[in-house]
Amino acid sequence: MMRPGWPYRWNGSARAERAPATTRGIALVLELHQWTGAAYLAASLAAILGLGLRSKRWLDGAIAALCVGAALHTLALWGLHSEHPPPAVTQLSVAADFMAWVGTVFFLALIVRVRGRGLAVLVAPIAFVSVFAGSLAAPGPELAVERASPLWSHLHVLLASGGLALLGLAGAAGVLYVIHHRAIKAKRLDASRSILPSLESLDRTNTLALGAGFLLISLGLLTGMVWLHNVEGRWWTADRHTNATLAAWGVYAGVVVARYAGRLGARQCAIGSALGFLLMLLAVIGVEVVG
Amino acid sequence: MNLLLLGMSHRTAALALRERFAVEDPRPALCKLVAAPEVEEAALVSTCNRIEILVLSHQPEAARLLLRRFLQRDLLDGEGQVDSQELDAALYSYEDANAVRHVFRVACSVDSLVIGEPQILGQVKAAYRASVECGACGPILGRLFQRAFGTAKRVRNETRIAQRPVSVARVAVDLARQIFESLEGKAALLVGAGDMIELALESLQSAGLGSVHVANRSPARAEALATRFGASAHGLDEIPLLLARSDVVLTCIGGDVPILTPAIVEEALRKRRQRPIFAIDIGVPRNVHPDVDRLDGVYRYDLDDLEGVAQTNAQERHREVAHAEAIVSEEQQRFDGWLSALSAVPTIRALRGRAESIRRGELARGLTGLSLAEGERRAVEAITRAIVNKILHAPISMLRRERDREAGLAHLEAARNLFALDDPEAPGAEADEPATEGRTSSEEDAS
Repeated sequence: MMRPGWPYRWNGSARAERAPATTRGIALVLELHQWTGAAYLAASLAAILGLGLRSKRWLDGAIAALCVGAALHTLALWGLHSEHPPPAVTQLSVAADFMAWVGTVFFLALIVRVRGRGLAVLVAPIAFVSVFAGSLAAPGPELAVERASPLWSHLHVLLASGGLALLGLAGAAGVLYVIHHRAIKAKRLDASRSILPSLESLDRTNTLALGAGFLLISLGLLTGMVWLHNVEGRWWTADRHTNATLAAWGVYAGVVVARYAGRLGARQCAIGSALGFLLMLLAVIGVEVVG
Repeated sequence: MNLLLLGMSHRTAALALRERFAVEDPRPALCKLVAAPEVEEAALVSTCNRIEILVLSHQPEAARLLLRRFLQRDLLDGEGQVDSQELDAALYSYEDANAVRHVFRVACSVDSLVIGEPQILGQVKAAYRASVECGACGPILGRLFQRAFGTAKRVRNETRIAQRPVSVARVAVDLARQIFESLEGKAALLVGAGDMIELALESLQSAGLGSVHVANRSPARAEALATRFGASAHGLDEIPLLLARSDVVLTCIGGDVPILTPAIVEEALRKRRQRPIFAIDIGVPRNVHPDVDRLDGVYRYDLDDLEGVAQTNAQERHREVAHAEAIVSEEQQRFDGWLSALSAVPTIRALRGRAESIRRGELARGLTGLSLAEGERRAVEAITRAIVNKILHAPISMLRRERDREAGLAHLEAARNLFALDDPEAPGAEADEPATEGRTSSEEDAS
């Protein structure tokens, strides 16, 4: 039995214990996934063109394509999780797919209030890569460790994936903030006509995604502990994954508290978000991959 | 008929000369001008950079003399005469296609002092409205102005001639938009109360800036500026307090020592919980210490920085001029084609040609398979030709009779539309003569 606390598994290692799901529903889900990927790819190209040509029309096109992609993605996920037996949420491809959906939907909801359409230049390619990676392998059925505590295992993975997606969005906004900040600070001649979102928009996106992502990842940690306790009767495993995750969570906690208390400037927060996300990726996925 | 344009602009005349011919309301002058027998239609464009009179006339030389006299007698202010040689050196004139091209270039802001500036189009529109209101604008000038507006719209949409700001104030507004999501609701602190501050404030307020605080050494001047812009007036000692509440700081005040030092700004940032400050320093010597750049949350731009961006933008606008000129040439040729087509002779010739082509075609089709004798064939030919001639007699007579009148121009255009003379897909159109003949025919017609 696989130990809980290692939420994401590569398909290669998981394939041995899973029978491939071959129902008609899965075929439809895969097709929906392909269309979702196509929409995200179109959004990526339009956003890159918009940035290169400084064209708001291309950016509008990118947002429209992202909306279409998000709608298809919702249907695909709905179909996938209505399958019997349900797919293993601990599978990396399923989790990456879910993260792409959360990140895209949060971004689309955010730009209703915040003028940050230019952020599509990072969000759309990341969403495309995640969906593409997710479509490389058909999801397998639940693992025994998930069946042992289905509620907490699902809660843990979904909350942690959602949190990771939002922290990724915060990191993307942080990267763009630093680039834009440097251009304006250096008084570059083209800084006044950049198509990137304003620094204030990027900072708001960063702060909101950081706050929401941190909350979800914290809940993910707590539910992971409960899941572990239900399966193995203990609250913590001192393995590389949990320790690295806790360290990354600590970094984020420091950044979030300092930012919301007004002690951390927008640039430091942007850098903290970008580095924090790298650390979190390393902790949640990298340790597993390297290991 | 000839189009004639006479005028002077910033390229040919100094402001001292131009301002003597400036007209506040062109309508009385236009009414007087159009009453002259040499002038059919007239319009007058008067801005701070140009004064131009555009007329439509059958007697171009007489009209040119009239306009020259009109400028000196009717438009010149009462401050004494202008030297004739000086005036001649300042004046330029354009005829026909060149006049059309010039009007288009002016409307597109290609001929402006600041290339791509948007005000000139509004001023040309105002000149058109004034001409219409006093009945000086007929179908030709009306069409010319409409095409000029269309051309200006094309140039604005298809080139980047007007995209980048070239004034320091507008550059500052663009930069503010890169820092803040919106200027609405943002607070500004003005340090100083001079003209430069006022100009920059106007641009920022038009971009939606919220509350404004004015701090100045002289409370009276601060109060005066504050009253005009709905702001609050303060002394310089209140700056540290006001800075913490302000998102945009605009400074232009005398003094050898910077007003805003890193220590003051750092303290303000702390009080603002690190929210950013955009500092626009247009004072000479500078009012914001350059070391402020080291603070993360402050974006400081001085006059040199802003002028550098403005100059780069101006150079980019100049590079777009060639693209704009190509659009102007295209539109000018289109207008010339329309003008040529309005001459009676080519329209009558096209109408006859179209009717004859249809007659021949239908006759050839109808006679195929019939074994008519040569005499019978000639009789049928004569009958059909007579029918066509009788049908065309009345419209052609009317076109000939009224060709020099306003109604005649309307009829010519109506005839071209009704008989689809400009439609190459219409029945019988394949036998039409080339449109380029229009101008030659028009000249023949006039002679």
